Amino acid sequence: MGPNPQLEATIDKILAQSEADLLSGLRRAHAEAEEMLSGSRQAMEDEYDRILDDGKKEADKVSRQIIGGADLRARNRLLLLAQESIARVFDEAAARVRAADRSGPEYAALLEALVKESVEALGTDGVTVRAAGQDREAAGAALEKFPGAELSPDPVDCLGGVRAESKDGSMSYDNTIDSRIERMKPLIRKEIAAKFGMGGGGG
Amino acid sequence: MAARGRIVWVSGPAVKADGMADAKMYETVSVGESKLIGEVIRLTGDVAFIQVYESTSGLRPGEPVVGTGSPLSVFLGPGIIGQIYDGIQRPLRELSKKSGSFIGRGITTTPVDLSKKYRFVPSASEGDEVGPGSVIGSVKETDLIDHKIMLPPGHPGGRISGIVPEGDYDLEADLATVEGDGAPPPVKMYHKWPVRKPRPYRERYDPTVPLLTGQRVIDTFFPMAKGGTGSIPGAFGTGKTVTLHQIAKWADAQVVVYIGCGERGNEMTEVLTEFPHLKDPRTGKPLMDRTVLVANTSNMPVAAREASIYTGVTIAEYYRDMGMDVVLVADSTSRWAEALREMSGRLEEMPAEEGYPSYLASRLAEFYERAGRVRASGGPDRDGSVTLVGAVSPSGGDFTEPVTTHTMRFIKTFWALDAKLAYSRHYPSINWMNSYSGYLADVAKWWGANVSKEWLEMRGEAYGVLQREDTLKEIVRLLGPEALPDDQKLVLEAARMIKIGILQQNSFDEIDTYCSPERQVALLRLMVRFYRDGQQALKDGASLEDIRAMPVVGAMLKARMEVRDGEIQKLDEIASRMAAQFGELAGAKVRN
Amino acid sequence: MSGRGGVQYSRIAEIKGPLVVVDEVESAAFDELVEIQTSEGEKRLGKVLEVGNGKAIVQVFEGTTGLSVSGTSAKFVGKVMEMPVSEQVLGRVFDGLGRPKDGLPDPIADRFVDINGEPMNPEQREYPRDFIQTGVSVIDGMLTLVRGQKLPIFSGSGMSHNILAAQIARQASVVGSGEEFAVVFAAIGVQYSESEYFRRSLEESGALKRSVLFLNLADDPAIERIITPRVALTVAEYLAYDLGMHVLVILTDMTNYAEALREISAAREEVPGRKGYPGYLYTDLSTVYERAGRLRGRPGSVTQMPILSMPSDDITHPIPDLTGYITEGQIVLGRDLFRQGTYPPVNILMSLSRIMKDGIGEGRTRADHQEVSNQNYDAYSRAQEVRALAGIVGKAGLTGLDLQYMGFGDDFEGGFLSQAVDENRTIEETLALQWRAVSNLPKAELTKIKDKFVEQHYKERRAQG
Repeated sequence: MGPNPQLEATIDKILAQSEADLLSGLRRAHAEAEEMLSGSRQAMEDEYDRILDDGKKEADKVSRQIIGGADLRARNRLLLLAQESIARVFDEAAARVRAADRSGPEYAALLEALVKESVEALGTDGVTVRAAGQDREAAGAALEKFPGAELSPDPVDCLGGVRAESKDGSMSYDNTIDSRIERMKPLIRKEIAAKFGMGGGGG
Repeated sequence: MAARGRIVWVSGPAVKADGMADAKMYETVSVGESKLIGEVIRLTGDVAFIQVYESTSGLRPGEPVVGTGSPLSVFLGPGIIGQIYDGIQRPLRELSKKSGSFIGRGITTTPVDLSKKYRFVPSASEGDEVGPGSVIGSVKETDLIDHKIMLPPGHPGGRISGIVPEGDYDLEADLATVEGDGAPPPVKMYHKWPVRKPRPYRERYDPTVPLLTGQRVIDTFFPMAKGGTGSIPGAFGTGKTVTLHQIAKWADAQVVVYIGCGERGNEMTEVLTEFPHLKDPRTGKPLMDRTVLVANTSNMPVAAREASIYTGVTIAEYYRDMGMDVVLVADSTSRWAEALREMSGRLEEMPAEEGYPSYLASRLAEFYERAGRVRASGGPDRDGSVTLVGAVSPSGGDFTEPVTTHTMRFIKTFWALDAKLAYSRHYPSINWMNSYSGYLADVAKWWGANVSKEWLEMRGEAYGVLQREDTLKEIVRLLGPEALPDDQKLVLEAARMIKIGILQQNSFDEIDTYCSPERQVALLRLMVRFYRDGQQALKDGASLEDIRAMPVVGAMLKARMEVRDGEIQKLDEIASRMAAQFGELAGAKVRN
Repeated sequence: MSGRGGVQYSRIAEIKGPLVVVDEVESAAFDELVEIQTSEGEKRLGKVLEVGNGKAIVQVFEGTTGLSVSGTSAKFVGKVMEMPVSEQVLGRVFDGLGRPKDGLPDPIADRFVDINGEPMNPEQREYPRDFIQTGVSVIDGMLTLVRGQKLPIFSGSGMSHNILAAQIARQASVVGSGEEFAVVFAAIGVQYSESEYFRRSLEESGALKRSVLFLNLADDPAIERIITPRVALTVAEYLAYDLGMHVLVILTDMTNYAEALREISAAREEVPGRKGYPGYLYTDLSTVYERAGRLRGRPGSVTQMPILSMPSDDITHPIPDLTGYITEGQIVLGRDLFRQGTYPPVNILMSLSRIMKDGIGEGRTRADHQEVSNQNYDAYSRAQEVRALAGIVGKAGLTGLDLQYMGFGDDFEGGFLSQAVDENRTIEETLALQWRAVSNLPKAELTKIKDKFVEQHYKERRAQG
């Protein structure tokens, strides 16, 4: 076979062409592969970050929960302790009141003031007054200034003071020391708590 | 002789006191040891029924009630503008100095600063004959308000025997002395006037001048007139408050009285924070320099809510008497009516519809009757107006409830807000089929003479398109839009463009929030021409698809937000682009 | 009025419904706190509704069951009802009248505050402007919540309102500030399971120590419900205005509150307004809802999120109706979306946040926020119309544009609206989803957005299906 330059040229051309195609194909494949690789690396990194992130969020959440819960439990324990101490203070105070000397003029004046307040609250001195058993005498003396008032034979179970009732029984006014302490309690609690270093303002 | 009695019964804002034989109806009284302010609203024997303007918590029978001898009155003089008052004209700024962030009780303070000095410029001179309402001079209250000093309406009049020269005086200074029957008192910068009594005037005119609000659906379609009455009813969420704020901001009035009657606290705060920074488009001055607020929010005492409407309208009449155009916006008259209902219930009156008292209608009528364009009493001649706009909050959005139906009898402009429009964010949600204006014919002359001769005709044409669309919508709902022939589809298209391009207005957009009459007319012309040229193009063989696809359509729809008041020629450019594009459509048909 | 009370009266003229009428009363004040004592020595609380001519009408919070005309007495305490407040109330659980329910002692009070509060001077209010990111797209994007706002959830029976409220309570924060809310939760006549869900949700997020719970459950006395929101708000105001905290108050369910009010009104034989509710329902509700906001010169804020179930899902019922007139918008839950399983099932067309405009935009969220949100509203409303039309004429009767609107609607509901209960989206994510939704439409349809924003954010999406 003799040389056929035309044919050879054509073959060369085809070869060159297919080589170029092949090369560009390879290049493309390489680029795609690179892209995929980097893409998956990105995805992997993202995923990794996400897992870390989620884990961190989860951990944050759990730690917030644990810390929050613990804070709260500690605070509540403190509240209960404070309450116990306050209750002890009140018990102590009540015991002292109970044991106090009631024969002096001071106590008589107190009783009289309590009766006066009761009569004013009820708007009449036509009242029946009840007092603690141990106060009967003192109470009887205090009523002398209130001609309409009379002392009831039934005693009240209380630390001291009086309970007044209108004669028809429609109105009454509790002026025992117990009820006065009860009324004052929220304010006194604040003061006691402040002495323990836990006032209402700071918890 | 002032009545002195004792409380015998307390229930909420209602108090009964006995020993009150000397009390007069509507006399203000001091109630209880904490001296709460109240008003006598019924007298039976020596028992007075009192509505108390402050919280009665802790009040007990046996506490004293003392009459003041005078009816509930407002204080009228310079210093009112820019203030925020509660329902009985207590200045809220001053109250906060005395009671902090929350409103305390039993606090009294004068509505304006009596010691403040204003420069008085006399206009009357010694020897002039003056009567009630006569102007004797003026002071500059704000940059915008030239405050006329007038003889009080109840003044007997006479001859000026002395008047101070120009100079700085406080409110208590005697500015002029008058000689006449019964030794008339000297004239000061202020006087008091009972809120429930309309201020007198010389003559009343028909409203013929539009009150421009810069809101297209109002000015172009349902106009208000100076001295007119209008109502905005709407369910919650329909944008009532925003619409009212827009009117208060942009109405071409000299004074705006805004009454927040039983509404949200933050809305008043919004006005207070925003208005000082907004400029009146006509004068360039802060809007607060012409505004007075009366705020009795929903959680403030209900009786003072009842009074707030009267307090506001009396202030409005006062500035009207100086020859100014005043707009009063009341949000909401329904809450005022509820206050009436609550007091009526406590009085155990026989209720009419839905528990409202039988005098609801007459009270509404009396209120709206205080609107009007008038010639003020006394010389020199001054014409002023009070325009009343009341919001109505119908329960459940039902316009057949008593407050809405009674209000409709006494107003001439009705802007019906529509929840459906609001849900699709078509704002202002004024329904163009249910709204009306009784002033259209009156103000058309003004538009024709001052803005455009074609105004009435174009408005009619645009409104016609909207009406036809309303009928066609029914067919579309049943059969779909493709069932219509092209010329009817064009009606739908033109209506859509009028709705988006004119009726909708974004009050939060810097450009769109206010639209001058000139720009309103230019936009209207644009849409009307579109419809006219579109019809012609269809006749010439163009298809609706072609018309819809014209690039100019987008620009037309956004023109209201993109073209400013100063650049109306840009709208003309859009109009010529539109004409050119219609021309191309016709050309294309000819070539085919 | 302190110091004058203390007298006990035992002439009971009448007991009707939740009311006790006490006779021969010499001295009592309007609104005064009353201690009712039964013949067995049990104590109940009440307050004076009306006093005069020797009679006092007392509303008993814990109900009148078991009271008798003889043997019952009423002590007028000499003050209005007060709530002890201090920082120690945080982390505590109280009953509907503000008494401890967690086995711990009464809080040591910093102050005792009248539970009725006083109306804020409108001149002293600070207008709400701080954007609260809730992490819920539909709220942040289209119904933005602002510090100091009152934004209720209108729901219906059985819907996911409490789940949504709990998600908001967990996630709400002000962007950039890192400040967390204190949460005051008031259960008003709700079931134990609902209030327990809420409590657990707060506990799991570690928020319990900055929360205060007030529980009036379904089986607790009904009249107590008048008081529950008031004690809760009293505490909230203290935390906000005295301690400078930002407080989110959740009141659920206000419908039970209104019903308690109706019960009292009926017992007093008052002339009823609509559906038997008293004529003063609006005014009364406002004394609850208006206790939200910010005050000038004080750092804290009270943001309110009342929840109410609309009887028969009817938004024109007096309770949602009057609420809507007072609150600054409403988040309405839709039965259809709920049935489809969409969470959160917010019907945006009926929903609104009134002060959104002031909390968003340049420097707060983003300059295009308002406009893209408006466009989403507009397009969704159109999509709903098209859907209705398609139901009648079929898809074949629709134009190409109509189909694009349907595509928008699906993407809006599926991509933007729907979100997981524990998914916390940033505002940027939310705005991107809004732009994605409107990008289903051709550019020419974006009539509510300025061209410059369209150029910046619009990326056309091919119509789906």
